[in-house]
Amino acid sequence: MSKSYAKTSLAAIAATALAMLGNPASAAPPEPTKAAPQLIEAAKKEGKVVWYTSVDLPMAEKIAKAFEVKYPGVAVRVERSGAERVFQRIGQEYSSKIYAADAVNSSDAAHFIVWKRDGWLMADVPEDVAKYFPKDQQDPDGMFAAFRVTLSPIGYNTTLVKKEEAPKSFKDLLDPKWSGKIVKAHPSYSGTILTATYQTARDIGWEYFEKLSQQKVMQVQSATDPSKKLSVGERAISADGTEYNLLQLKEKGEPIEIVYPTEGTPLVVGPSGIMKNAPNPNAAKLFNHFLFSVECQQLIVDVGGMRSFHSQVKEKPGRTPLKQIKLMKEDPAAVEKQVEEIKARYTKYFKV
Amino acid sequence: MARVALRNLVKRYGDLAVVDRISLDIDHGQLVCLLGPSGCGKTTTLRLIAGFIEPTEGEIQVGERVVSSPARAIEPQLRNMSMIFQSYALWPHMTVMENVAYGLRLRKLDRDVIRDKVRAILNMTKLAEFEDRYPADLSGGQQQRVALARALVVEPETLLLDEPLSNLDANLREEMRFEVRRLHDQYRYTTVYVTHDQAEAMTAADRIVVMNKGRIEQTGTPEEIYRRPRSEFVARFIGGANILRGPSLDARHMRFSGVVLRCGDAEIALNGHAALSIRHHDIRLLGAPPSSAENVVPAKVARQVFLGGMRDYLVETHDGTQLRVVTSAEHSFAPGSAVWLHLPPESCRALVS
Amino acid sequence: MTAAVAAGLPGRLGRVDLSRPVVLLLAAVLCLLIVLPVSWLVYFAFTDRDGLPTFANFAPLFSDPAYTEPMITTLVISVSVGLACAAVAAPMGWLVARTDVPFARTIRSLIMASFVTPPFLGAIAWEILAAPNSGMLNQWYRELTGAPPDQHLFNIYSLTGVIFVIACYTFPYVFVLVANALERIPGELEDASSILGGRAWHTARRITVPLALPALLAGCLVAFLQAMTLFGSPAILALPAGFHTMTTKIWSLFQYPPKPGLAAACSLPLLLLTVVLLRAQHMILGRRSYQVIGGKSGAPRVIRLGPWRWLALAVCLIVLLNPVFLPYLGLVKAAFTHVFSQPLTLKNLTLEHVDFVFFEFSSTRLALKNTFLLGILAATLGSGLALVIAYATARRVVAGYRVLDFFATAPVAIPAIVLGVGLFLAYTRPPFVLYGTLSILLIAFVTIQLPAAYQQLQSAFRAVNPELEEASRILGATRLQALRHITAPLLRSGVIAAWCFIFIGTIRELSAAIMLFTADTKVISVVIFDLNENGHLGPISVLGILMLVITFAVVTLANRLHGSGAWRGQRVTG
Repeated sequence: MSKSYAKTSLAAIAATALAMLGNPASAAPPEPTKAAPQLIEAAKKEGKVVWYTSVDLPMAEKIAKAFEVKYPGVAVRVERSGAERVFQRIGQEYSSKIYAADAVNSSDAAHFIVWKRDGWLMADVPEDVAKYFPKDQQDPDGMFAAFRVTLSPIGYNTTLVKKEEAPKSFKDLLDPKWSGKIVKAHPSYSGTILTATYQTARDIGWEYFEKLSQQKVMQVQSATDPSKKLSVGERAISADGTEYNLLQLKEKGEPIEIVYPTEGTPLVVGPSGIMKNAPNPNAAKLFNHFLFSVECQQLIVDVGGMRSFHSQVKEKPGRTPLKQIKLMKEDPAAVEKQVEEIKARYTKYFKV
Repeated sequence: MARVALRNLVKRYGDLAVVDRISLDIDHGQLVCLLGPSGCGKTTTLRLIAGFIEPTEGEIQVGERVVSSPARAIEPQLRNMSMIFQSYALWPHMTVMENVAYGLRLRKLDRDVIRDKVRAILNMTKLAEFEDRYPADLSGGQQQRVALARALVVEPETLLLDEPLSNLDANLREEMRFEVRRLHDQYRYTTVYVTHDQAEAMTAADRIVVMNKGRIEQTGTPEEIYRRPRSEFVARFIGGANILRGPSLDARHMRFSGVVLRCGDAEIALNGHAALSIRHHDIRLLGAPPSSAENVVPAKVARQVFLGGMRDYLVETHDGTQLRVVTSAEHSFAPGSAVWLHLPPESCRALVS
Repeated sequence: MTAAVAAGLPGRLGRVDLSRPVVLLLAAVLCLLIVLPVSWLVYFAFTDRDGLPTFANFAPLFSDPAYTEPMITTLVISVSVGLACAAVAAPMGWLVARTDVPFARTIRSLIMASFVTPPFLGAIAWEILAAPNSGMLNQWYRELTGAPPDQHLFNIYSLTGVIFVIACYTFPYVFVLVANALERIPGELEDASSILGGRAWHTARRITVPLALPALLAGCLVAFLQAMTLFGSPAILALPAGFHTMTTKIWSLFQYPPKPGLAAACSLPLLLLTVVLLRAQHMILGRRSYQVIGGKSGAPRVIRLGPWRWLALAVCLIVLLNPVFLPYLGLVKAAFTHVFSQPLTLKNLTLEHVDFVFFEFSSTRLALKNTFLLGILAATLGSGLALVIAYATARRVVAGYRVLDFFATAPVAIPAIVLGVGLFLAYTRPPFVLYGTLSILLIAFVTIQLPAAYQQLQSAFRAVNPELEEASRILGATRLQALRHITAPLLRSGVIAAWCFIFIGTIRELSAAIMLFTADTKVISVVIFDLNENGHLGPISVLGILMLVITFAVVTLANRLHGSGAWRGQRVTG
């Protein structure tokens, strides 16, 4: 497992990440799911699918809309919140025997370790995952696969910060001149931020956060929010957040620029799967099939600003190719073990 | 027959006995007035009869049926009674017609029967032209008659009236007293009438029950109550009376202000202390000592008020007792002048307590 | 019995009187509503994870800065809000109630508008207005003064900001109490002082102020309690600034990994303090104001301000800029622009947020449906419950009516977020697993709204002479028939008012809902809060405006029905 760490290619990193999630002792994954007429019929009979996700709401609704257009008669209800909130909610609901979720997606890959361990997931390998996703980017038991990938870079508002003055690294953010000008999201809400916090603390140390907390940081919840605060000009710099929201705004013409810090940029893989107790299992399968289709994967790349593992999906021109970015290493298993400690330490420094 | 009987009735709120061992028999068709000052327990008694509250002890019987006892009380709606309230309790959201028809509708009578009965009673109470009005649009007297009509139309076994005239002005009140009596004579329901106004009781009642502090002081016809009060309370409350106190001499005589007084009827208690009552206007006021000295007490005028038809005196006897005397307006005695009071023995009532 | 009825008219009368069992059943329901959640709260506070008794949950409340700091912050906020409300509401109450300030009715309506504006919506609106850099007011300030981009006039993400915004939506409580008290001081009392030679100032100081003081004090306590127990505003404004209040702390303890024992332990001080302060308020109001201010003597004396009255009006309007005009303006701008912080140009105008809310956002319809359903159910159930309890207590139907009175009033002492915690703990486990259903939210909303509705209806009952019911009963009606035929029609306008009150209260409730909702049981307030966590201010503004429109429609309707509530001229068939 650890041999591939040396490589910096996306596939290698993801392979590491996902391989750690799998349980090699279990049975072979099920036959790939095709969007066969029977499945579509069964899904239509169910009429709806409930998708718990942490994808930024408008993007999630766009994915839902695309699915509804392709499969009329199956409505998608997006249940969007921060990944940590989604995780807590599903746990809460399941412990009260409330089975509302069909498909789930989280920006904290560690959640899938827990769900799989608890036996809450249903094995389902969409056709495209079997065909076009590298084997090491999917759970060996077919419980989930990497639906989306994003980074958590630094961002800034170009009208408020000149390019040459912009920070180049996380450490640059500790410069007193940025005091009161930084916005950042919260690891108790966002899986992206939890993952990023783990990687950053591991690679450059908790002192970074301790010092950052002295910078009068504006504390928002969702990883999707810092970029919005940049775009309205509320803060000049975002210390974290999602690359995809920054890309969306930048490509819309907002005065936003992205900095991939010299220490490395946290990498966040967001897997997707379906629940064993899904109230609409057929619609869930159909939806899962759609999520990993080239159509949807291209949509989240082109419109959403995310990155994809699908071999048929093309990167959008004008974006920094992933292999040119120095990435931090994903390690969901470690996150899963340290989650309480990460949150507690964070709260200790940032007070909230 | 709807004889109403109260047996040792007690209503206690906490330690306070508002109604304290009351026993009373009301014959069928009789109109009985519960008379007393406010707080004497008369309204509570009435509400016990109506069944709005339950007795702490004792029981109420209507006809052969026990309607209230601590163990079991029949709900008010099953007692076949009617009641007229101090506030009239007319329902402001219903017309006169609807108010009167309400009890009949509850009894699920025929529509036509209801209409006929309501018409009849509205004519009877001179309200026919107001049937579509709302209570707020009626005068006090009219409201009062609606309340009467509403209570009578259901032909109750027992009719209860709680200070029904106290909200009317003086003239109307006098007129309605006779109206109540007239309607009673016509329908002859067993009626319990609560009032604090003795004139009302005198006019309306077959029998008056004077109540004080939760107990019955005296029961009797209006005339009995007036002429032969048995207690100081009754004597004072009904018509006003002077109370004279002194040592008793024998069954017929007592000493008052140095004079021996002879008493007309009831026996004077022989426990040493005697009290007798005499009405204000039964005392004769004389400017000179009369020939017969029996029951004559010398006194001095303390105050005199001219009231048009009569004069109201306050006189003081030698032992300092103040008495009120009402005389005709003819003779006037100035304050300070000496007078002689003649207390006719037949007007002197020995009191029990 | 037969003999007796035979003696009267023929016909049948209803025999069975269900009122007693109904009342007893209600007492049991109320007991369950309140006792169950509070018991679980206490249980969790005093046990560890294994259910063994412990005080350990309370230890951090006194030692750990993560808990002591929010407690101090909460106290600072509450006291400041109480004082700020008094400082603003008392003069305004006096102006509106006792002087000839122009447009007094309009001022009252505007204060009513701030009263019904959901506080969390106000907080979000003030983010739009006074976020230090993007806030509209700060932008205007920089444009006017030419100040550099990072200078600001207001920073809403601060302790002062939180206090300010909470005060904006709390001062109406104080205003109403003070204005009502001032209105009920009979002019004679002041005239008496003037006749005795007291000069205007002296009269005001020795007569008017002391008479209105209990109401002001009581109002301050209410404001204090509101500020202490509010969740939405601090969650929206304090968290970005990096500090907690007790309510946000309790809420955060329910985030993963949840610590219900600690949350329960944090809830109990709020509960206790509320009980104590409400007792205090009761004593203040009970001791002095009733006997003096309850009289029915002459109308209050109106003080003529002369030309100063226009200045007074201006002051009132400037005050009302803060809770009403500016926030509404901010919401409207954010609802219809791409980027609210940029100038209002044609290019910046958009309907995208409207489009998103109504046609893309899949939660909108569900949340609207849930909100309306809950609003209608809670209002119907709540006013019905309040009606029956008010009847039972006002008419002392059963021996234990005091118990009913206690339970119907008790929820007032349970802060909504605490109730949310209690209900969560109570209804996520047997015997009543209600979590995830609308019922648990319904229970929460009914419980929260019950005391106000109950008190309103109880005074309505007191206004209906019991003899009206007794007259019906003695003529043959059962207790329930009397209630239906006589009392119900007479109380109609009171009931309608209570209904609307609960409805509005329900659709704006966040503090308890945030603890209790699940995916299928989202309500608008929760959706707005959710959206705020993602920074979607445009859609929030659209939803917020929708909420306000609905609220004002209901208020107007209630006022109209209330006005025509008189029975005269309308026929009610027996």
